[in-house]
Amino acid sequence: MLEVHDVTKKFKNGKGIFNVSFSVKKGEVFGFLGPNGSGKSTTIRHIMGFMKPDNGYIKVNDLDTWKSQGKVQKYIGYLPGEIAFLEGMTGKGFLDFIARMQGLDDLSKQKQLIERLRLDVNTPIRKMSKGMKQKVGIVAALMHNPEVIILDEPTSGLDPLMQRLFIELMLEEKAKGKTILLSSHSMEEVEKTCDRAAIIKNGKIVTIKDIHELQSMQRKLFEVTFQNSTDADTFTKSKLDIVFHQKNVVRVAIQGNFDEFLAETSKYPVRNIDVFTQNLEEIFINYYEGER
Amino acid sequence: MNFPLYKQMMKIQMKSILNYAIGSAFYMILMVWIYPSIAVNTKSLNEFVKVMPESLLKAFGFENGFGSFESFISGEYYGVILTIILTIFCVILPTQLVAKLVDQGSMAYLLSTPITRGKVVFTQACVFFTGIFLIMLITTISGFVGYALFLNEEDSFHALKFIQLNIAALLLFFAVGGISFLVSCISNDEKKSLGISGAIAFGFFSLDMIGKISDKVEWLRHFTIYSLFSPSDIVSGDANLVLSFSLLGLIGILTIAIGILFFQKRDLPL
Repeated sequence: MLEVHDVTKKFKNGKGIFNVSFSVKKGEVFGFLGPNGSGKSTTIRHIMGFMKPDNGYIKVNDLDTWKSQGKVQKYIGYLPGEIAFLEGMTGKGFLDFIARMQGLDDLSKQKQLIERLRLDVNTPIRKMSKGMKQKVGIVAALMHNPEVIILDEPTSGLDPLMQRLFIELMLEEKAKGKTILLSSHSMEEVEKTCDRAAIIKNGKIVTIKDIHELQSMQRKLFEVTFQNSTDADTFTKSKLDIVFHQKNVVRVAIQGNFDEFLAETSKYPVRNIDVFTQNLEEIFINYYEGER
Repeated sequence: MNFPLYKQMMKIQMKSILNYAIGSAFYMILMVWIYPSIAVNTKSLNEFVKVMPESLLKAFGFENGFGSFESFISGEYYGVILTIILTIFCVILPTQLVAKLVDQGSMAYLLSTPITRGKVVFTQACVFFTGIFLIMLITTISGFVGYALFLNEEDSFHALKFIQLNIAALLLFFAVGGISFLVSCISNDEKKSLGISGAIAFGFFSLDMIGKISDKVEWLRHFTIYSLFSPSDIVSGDANLVLSFSLLGLIGILTIAIGILFFQKRDLPL
């Protein structure tokens, strides 16, 4: 349904994307993971036909997205990473305008989405918070029932409740057989919705894997606070990967070996365990290092 | 052309278009209103004009004196003030219609709908043309309204020449705006686009002014499109209207067409 084939685009400053290839099947949710500035948005700009690849092509529904501008957009719903609307409009005014541009007559899905997202559409856009704008963008991306949905960092600005609702919406679209590409710099976001994911760094695809495989590769940091600092000392002598140790606090990096970690910690009285959220590079630190 | 886009863009730009149009109309009516009092003193004013250095008169378009209403208005309004005001308009609006949307990113929304890039920018060009057309139309009408209100039969007013004057102005601004539109189509940065097209337009304008003031540098006027619009020559009947009209029209059409072509082919940082 969506095919990115050997796309290269080099910018003047030497950055860009290099030989990026992946494809997303119909009914699949594909995650596109990478730290900021890694080439996610550039790839998406090529998919949307905003940029011409130096080499390679992108096809949506068998149409080349650069050559078939104006045709291929019929099948695509798009949520930009940085949302900028036209000035001087209300949410509803903007959505209706986009609907007219899309040639959309049936506004029932628009109405339904507005209700579910609890969006006050009569607010002027310039008075909207980032989260509200994001909601307007989500409605605009989905209201014409597109077959392929491209979302650039969709949950930024949404509160946890809305993030959950968003995931629900994505799973519903997937159940309807829609093809979804979702870019993100957060593994948590991707693992809740995606079937497969690609990791991109410095413009190159590092890996494309099943989401379960990626989960097992993930490095998680746990901070364990023991009752006694002597226990902490003995704990650090285990085979676990100790990142940090001070008095009775120990930070451990775990990659798949949860059983070992549990068995080792349960030997001692524990006061507290915390999970650390890390950025993508830290999560896949071994993977990145292996590629270097 | 895409009609929903045209309608939306007109809605956004209408306020500024009307501001320019109403301002221009007011100035015009004011000028018509004071004309009779000046016309009484035409003779002495014409004497005064004769004393002034010729170069200065030419720069401000007063060389025809104040004998008829058109010659009065061509010097008093079309020569400098209207030209400056509309040049500003023709730099700002084309920048807002393309470069601004690319710079702030809302172009992404327009292009994510099933409308080709060519159609989107062509629609924007139509919005620009509608803008200058409305301003010149309202300016022309206000001239006629002023005539009906304040001038008598005896006051000489040649409708045909007055209309020619307005068509010439419209075509000049079509050409100036076309150049700005081309710049706007190839710019990623709104401010840069505004700066470049502003420099081109006012550069041309200044070349024309300087060329008019001194005979020594009159050759400068060969390098500016503003010399194709000469209000005093139109009024006195000395202007080659066919040539200047078709040249200005051609410049406008070509620059806009090239702008659209570039826009279709280029990378957009959206």
